[in-house]
Amino acid sequence: MIEITINGTPIEVEKGTVLLHAAKENGVEIPTLCNHEGLNREGNCRLCSVEITENGRSKIVASCMFPVTRSISVETDNERVKRARRTVLQLLINRNPKSPVIQQLCSEYGVKREERFALEPDLCIRCGRCVRACETNGTKAIELVGRGFDRHVATPYETESDACIGCLSCATVCPTGKITYDESPGKRKIWHKEFDVLKCARCGIYFATKEMLDWAGRPENDRAYCDHCQKYIESVKFLTEHEQNK
Amino acid sequence: MKFETLSELRSHIEQLSEKKKPGKEIWVCGGPGCVASGSVAVAEEFRKLIEKRASGSSGSFWKDLTVLIRHEDGHPKIRTGLTGCMGPCENGPIVHVEPEGWYYRKVTPEDTAGILDSLLEGRPYKAKSMYGSDGKPSEDPRAESIPFLSGQKKMVLGNMSSMSPLDLGDYLEHGGYSALLKALETMTPEEVCAEIRESGLRGRGGGGFPTGVKWESCRKSPSDKRYVLVNGDEGDPGAFMDRALMEGDPFSVLEGLTIGAYAIGASEGIIYVRHEYPLAVRRLSNAIAILVESGLLGENILGTGFSFHVEICKGGGAFVCGESTALMTSIEGKPGVPRVKYIRSTEKGLWESPTVLNNVETWANVPLIINMGASAFKETGSPNNSGTKVFALVGKVKNTGLVEVPMGTTLREIIYGIGGGVAKDRPFKAVQTGGPSGGCLPGFMLDTPVDFDSLDKAGSMMGSGGMIVMDDRTCMVDIARYFIDFLMEESCGKCVPCREGLKKMQMLLHDLTGGRGQEGDTERLKELAEGIADTALCALGQSSANPVLSTIRYFYEEYIEHERDHFCRAGVCKGMFHVKINEEKCRVCGQCAKNCPTRTIKLAESGKYRIEQAGCIKCGACIDICPFSSVGTVNEVSEDD
Repeated sequence: MIEITINGTPIEVEKGTVLLHAAKENGVEIPTLCNHEGLNREGNCRLCSVEITENGRSKIVASCMFPVTRSISVETDNERVKRARRTVLQLLINRNPKSPVIQQLCSEYGVKREERFALEPDLCIRCGRCVRACETNGTKAIELVGRGFDRHVATPYETESDACIGCLSCATVCPTGKITYDESPGKRKIWHKEFDVLKCARCGIYFATKEMLDWAGRPENDRAYCDHCQKYIESVKFLTEHEQNK
Repeated sequence: MKFETLSELRSHIEQLSEKKKPGKEIWVCGGPGCVASGSVAVAEEFRKLIEKRASGSSGSFWKDLTVLIRHEDGHPKIRTGLTGCMGPCENGPIVHVEPEGWYYRKVTPEDTAGILDSLLEGRPYKAKSMYGSDGKPSEDPRAESIPFLSGQKKMVLGNMSSMSPLDLGDYLEHGGYSALLKALETMTPEEVCAEIRESGLRGRGGGGFPTGVKWESCRKSPSDKRYVLVNGDEGDPGAFMDRALMEGDPFSVLEGLTIGAYAIGASEGIIYVRHEYPLAVRRLSNAIAILVESGLLGENILGTGFSFHVEICKGGGAFVCGESTALMTSIEGKPGVPRVKYIRSTEKGLWESPTVLNNVETWANVPLIINMGASAFKETGSPNNSGTKVFALVGKVKNTGLVEVPMGTTLREIIYGIGGGVAKDRPFKAVQTGGPSGGCLPGFMLDTPVDFDSLDKAGSMMGSGGMIVMDDRTCMVDIARYFIDFLMEESCGKCVPCREGLKKMQMLLHDLTGGRGQEGDTERLKELAEGIADTALCALGQSSANPVLSTIRYFYEEYIEHERDHFCRAGVCKGMFHVKINEEKCRVCGQCAKNCPTRTIKLAESGKYRIEQAGCIKCGACIDICPFSSVGTVNEVSEDD
């Protein structure tokens, strides 16, 4: 265990814990955008910046990435940290004015969109959560492409990709609501690709694309029911057999 | 030949030192600058001349770039060939004569006979002498009397002017591989690390991190696989130090790398070179092939059980790939974007293995240190900054080229001593060091010693060694705009501050240089730059604020003029100045009128020249041409102007 101080309060932290988690466990909230607990961390958005001081020297670090390996003191809400977060939010709101989460953060930090530097509104903040979700699935259908200001999320050659299974993981983890899709009974469209969505024979909900079940390795002759109903049917079957055996 | 054991290499090196040196050597610079100005034709002409006059020759010119004429008793008599970059690129093609140590400039094929004759008679060839200390052609071709060369201390570039970059034999003759031999024979890996740490060598790529400390920490990281990498992704505009080394002395880089691999316990090395350096790739590949053939690379080197393999990885030319973690992700086959570096590469680098990444020049320093010992190495340079540093001296300076000076040499000594001062004797304005992420220092900072700490303190940085001299016709706001444009193009876009912040800085700078500046823009820019420096993810992002911060720090007035008066005193930003002739200074030489493309400069009733403002397109030709500095910029002109 390593002793550190967060905002003056001494706490004990297991070696290697990232600052963001150490703070959270001790009730200190740090705002984040690109961080998602189910995914690898990358430290792209810099919103979770905090100030650490070690041997009299202080610097700003991304708390979601910084592992505690030595005794340090951490400030999560001092003027320098606030200024750093305001810098990030100012830049974000200039390009992403319509995202509710960014609007809310900006109002918390007193940041307003500057008309002079306003850029064409875009919901994407290039945090790459969608890309990491897709990678974590193993599908790797999307990637951040282009460089610098032109960086954006896309499928290869910006066209429909064999790798995409239409699972909507990307849309689920998107913090700003950028990733949208069309859904109508039995049909889904995302990333330039159309999918047939299977209907559960029991409850009638549209539960998965054919490609998702292919990816999961579910046999062709076992795709009639959604997960929920499948479980229900299995349990009824089990109970009936149990009764008979008695 | 293949060296199987340490003693075989030792006896070969000993033999070489006893062997008679060739009588005379005529070396022609084969650096890209000189090649572009015709040095290959010069070298070819020397070859023909020598072959014609001598009895026989050995060596195919085009294979190893050299030709050797031997005496009848078998000893070499005269030898000619192409080398790597000699440095004074401005004056190419350069010819260097050994053992006299004479240098000639702007040599044409017609000069070759004269140079050869004079050399054989033992007198200098006066027609193509270099400049002396007074800036006039000097009759003395010795390196000592040529300020550009005498002001330098060539250690890393030491052999480059007098050997073929393609020939291992040449390198061995110049003391090559004696350092590896010494390390393998007499030193443990720990001792090599300690020697490098003791020497105080700091990373020449710009970071200035102590090399020995890096090696030791990598050596201590538990792993059965470690890597040594060469950063040859030199991307700064106007910088060509690493390219010159890779092209001109590839063996020294490889020897350093091999010693490093031995010291940290790596069996694999990768040289990351940008693909825009095809010649460097070719020279390195050639050197690697020769070393493998000679048993100096590969399995069980010299029978010591130490195995080391080197590969070349070609980069796609992204500036950001010079950043250490981006370079590693690029080698791994992923897009070259940096990752957060809270865990050092020496613990978890390439393919998650402990890795040492050093710049080309750092590696080339390693054999020197092992050969001379740490304490002798430390004698050169200043405290905490030992050794020399190679700079690419470019911009508005009389003698441009590649220079190597001891650390701690002042900017003034480099620019005025070696460089000969500002081109056309215009007033000095600023010197930019450290590439796009570096900073611009003004005239009163010229006595700053060039070392890592002093430059950092001055608000610039060492960087990898670009040094751009600027005169009064350079607008500092425009320079900041230029570098921000460059960085904006080259930002990988991974983190918000660099991606979006550079865009905003760019908008502000384009407003300032486009006459649309608003009150408070300079402050806005400064605040933003400081924010980016604090929050960006990688070192390149953090330092991207430097060009803005350093120009605001030293040229604040110019920013305010752009912001408040929409005036560019340097006469660079379009539509932000008028040109006027100072009649008191004008001596009626007529140069301005002659060079004015729109013919709007006429003799006025006063007997002096005057610009008819209505027709002036503000091209600045008259400002540049006036020998008396009587043409300048003004913010406003009156009716009668």
